[in-house]
Amino acid sequence: MIVRYIAPRAALAFLMVSVSAVAISAQERVPEIYLDTTTEAYDPIRYEAAYIIAEAWEQLGLSVSVRPTEFSTLLGRFYDEQDFDATVVGWSGRVDRLDPQFFLGTLDSRQSDLGGNNPGGYSNPDYDALYDAQSQEFDVDARADLVHAAQDLYIPDAPVAILFYRDEVVSYNNTTFDDMLVMAGEGLYSEWGPMQATPLTDRTILRIGGPQEPDNVNPLASTSVWGWKWMRLYYDRLVRLSPDVEPINWMAESVEAIDETTIEVVLREGLAFHDGEPVTAEDVAFTFGYYAEQDYSYFDAYLAPVESVVATDERTVVFNLSEPSAVFATVALSQIPILPAHIWSEIDNPGELAPEDIPVIGSGPFVFEGYNRGEIKSLSTNRNHFHSDEIAVDGVEFIIYADMEGVFTGLQTGAIDMTAWRMEVGQIPLADDDPALTVVSVPDFGYYHTTFNTRRHAFGDVAFRRALTYAMDRERMVNVLLDGRGEVGSSVIAPVNAFWNNPFVEMFDFDMDAARAELEAGGYSWDDEGRLLMPAEG
Amino acid sequence: MSRSSYLLRRAIQALAALFVIATLLFFLFRLGLPDPTTALVAEGLNPEQREMVRRSFGLDQPLWRQYLIFLQNAVQGDFGFSFHYRAPVAGIIWERLANTMVLMVTAIVIAYLIGVPLGAWLSWRRGTRTDTSGIILGLMFRSAPMFWTGMMAILVFGVFLGLMPTSGMRTLPYSADGFFDKIFTVDFLVHLIMPALVVALYYLGSPLLIMRNTMLEVYGEDFIEMARAKGLSERRILYNHAARNALLPVVTQLAVTIGLAAGGQVVVEVVFSWPGLGREILQAVRTSDFPLAQASFLVMAAFVITLNLLVDILYTTLDPRVGFK
Repeated sequence: MIVRYIAPRAALAFLMVSVSAVAISAQERVPEIYLDTTTEAYDPIRYEAAYIIAEAWEQLGLSVSVRPTEFSTLLGRFYDEQDFDATVVGWSGRVDRLDPQFFLGTLDSRQSDLGGNNPGGYSNPDYDALYDAQSQEFDVDARADLVHAAQDLYIPDAPVAILFYRDEVVSYNNTTFDDMLVMAGEGLYSEWGPMQATPLTDRTILRIGGPQEPDNVNPLASTSVWGWKWMRLYYDRLVRLSPDVEPINWMAESVEAIDETTIEVVLREGLAFHDGEPVTAEDVAFTFGYYAEQDYSYFDAYLAPVESVVATDERTVVFNLSEPSAVFATVALSQIPILPAHIWSEIDNPGELAPEDIPVIGSGPFVFEGYNRGEIKSLSTNRNHFHSDEIAVDGVEFIIYADMEGVFTGLQTGAIDMTAWRMEVGQIPLADDDPALTVVSVPDFGYYHTTFNTRRHAFGDVAFRRALTYAMDRERMVNVLLDGRGEVGSSVIAPVNAFWNNPFVEMFDFDMDAARAELEAGGYSWDDEGRLLMPAEG
Repeated sequence: MSRSSYLLRRAIQALAALFVIATLLFFLFRLGLPDPTTALVAEGLNPEQREMVRRSFGLDQPLWRQYLIFLQNAVQGDFGFSFHYRAPVAGIIWERLANTMVLMVTAIVIAYLIGVPLGAWLSWRRGTRTDTSGIILGLMFRSAPMFWTGMMAILVFGVFLGLMPTSGMRTLPYSADGFFDKIFTVDFLVHLIMPALVVALYYLGSPLLIMRNTMLEVYGEDFIEMARAKGLSERRILYNHAARNALLPVVTQLAVTIGLAAGGQVVVEVVFSWPGLGREILQAVRTSDFPLAQASFLVMAAFVITLNLLVDILYTTLDPRVGFK
């Protein structure tokens, strides 16, 4: 009886225990996570944010190692090699990135190759479909719906956690100039700023100060935003993005979509270059053709849909696109500077021009006066420009300092009127206390994010990513690291970009309990030492 | 051994040293610094575009071929195109070097013109309170970091008192026909004073203490006793006999200091926004601008080697006991 009754049951019990023992010992700990970030010297905010995140993740039972890395190396590991677990990086919000195309593209699976903008490898065919649809939708309201839907779709998957949008805190001297324009993503140093500033004293030349030197002022070689911020003051474009970031006709009198792939632009009358030569449709056609044929990649993304550009008469240009592009008329036409054909057609290798040979003739509201490398760049107002009646300053100068200390001292002593970019954190209270200085907090539509490498162990699992996202105390980052000057992150399209941002997306407010709940629901468990274990196989 | 064969030998050694340094620099930067096109990702350039940029920099070639091209060009005096500025490296370096040398040479001249006689005088006053204060001052300025003295100077004289300009070489904007037209102005002098004095105060300690200590050594020599026995005045002994001999190590130090000055004082150049070579080197390393970084360091090395050679030759003139070997 014992043998027939107890033994089989004992054997079965033994079998069950040993199987479950094997199952338990087969559950491994989640491997150590390396969280890459910048060095403290490069950006103390990103550095500290990583430690705040690591601390919370460790409370979830993970072993986290923060790796502060030299910036270029960090970018190389993140974008070029995709050798990372999770990285804290940022995108700067530039005017041309207001159009949702760019930031939505950072989650497009087609951009996840080595070097692409989606190094985390998020791949969602439904998202890709929405992305394609919005890039070809000309009706803005319909396009907004698609953009909102794309945000709704990707956020619950938590491929990237937007940490915060950081305000740019800039300052200007309120006793020397008035009507200083502040633009999201550009601060005070936008293309409109100098056109709207009003002098309050005898000095009518606006002085901007910054530690950023352009690499050069060659419109076919500069790959630095600082080169372009300057050049766009003396080169003009067909369309401009207004201070409210809406496309307005500028050099163009009219921009009409003849059909989905044909756009006709009629130039304003009376346009002229700074050397007196008139601006014609030929110059526009030449410029686009020249950029397309030269080895200069900065504008490639804008020129990609262009098949040909033809001048049909003195003031009319027709753009033939190879595929419909919703962004072309608004973004591309507002970024490509119109070059004088009579000068540039003589230059075969613009990328190899010596600095003293670089032509500086444009048709913009300001005229190039001089550039002493390392010291100063100067422009004077173009009184023949169609907008010049609205321009109160007689010129603009950019003083180049070695670092922000020099810039701030210059601001305090009145050597400059405004800062080109953000002040150091320690300088903000000093500027606040100075009655002659006005401090402005400009919201940014760029963002700082933690991107997960979805190809690595647990990071491929949605529940894991969601839990880790819940464990990010973003309020604390904004309040402590940014001193309140910023906003908690939500979507890749920042809230300040109100038209395209979807405010109703899942927020992932800091909640360690919710994080644990996500992990439990996902089959994770904890061992005796509190370390997180991978879900059981099968 | 004759002078000319000595010179020839030293010249060849110098060239060999420069060759080795150039090679080391070449590989050090290309292997040690991150790729210069990586930062372009923040500008929104995609991988194909960045590859195009790499190609234009010649970075797509295998390393050994890049090295050969580099040597080939260097021998012809062509140091290539700066990645960052897209301009010939030589032009950039010359511009910056000139700015740096004006600052450094002024500072060194001040430091030595004050430090040497002062050091000699302190040795005479050895043991007194003057001596102690002199030494303390010299050491104090030598120990104080230049960014601190510089910032203090800017704060006190520039911001609070409003007497001095706080940055730059000239009041901006200015127009000048070339380098000498730029510097032979009162405006330039006014801008030069603070940074030059900050550097000079830092450098002061060296000649001061070397001179003082060497003088003290020299005092113990027999020929000084002899001079005293002859009845010469202390002052005459001090300056005509002792100082001349004590100058030798100071001269060596001077040459080395000038040699190293080519690299500029990065700290002072940044604090005062002085557009010099030091500041430029910092930027070149930050942006992985290999041609500019290589050439800048090579220029510094050339300076040091040349000045060392000059000092060795000068020494044989100053000290008849030293001959060519």
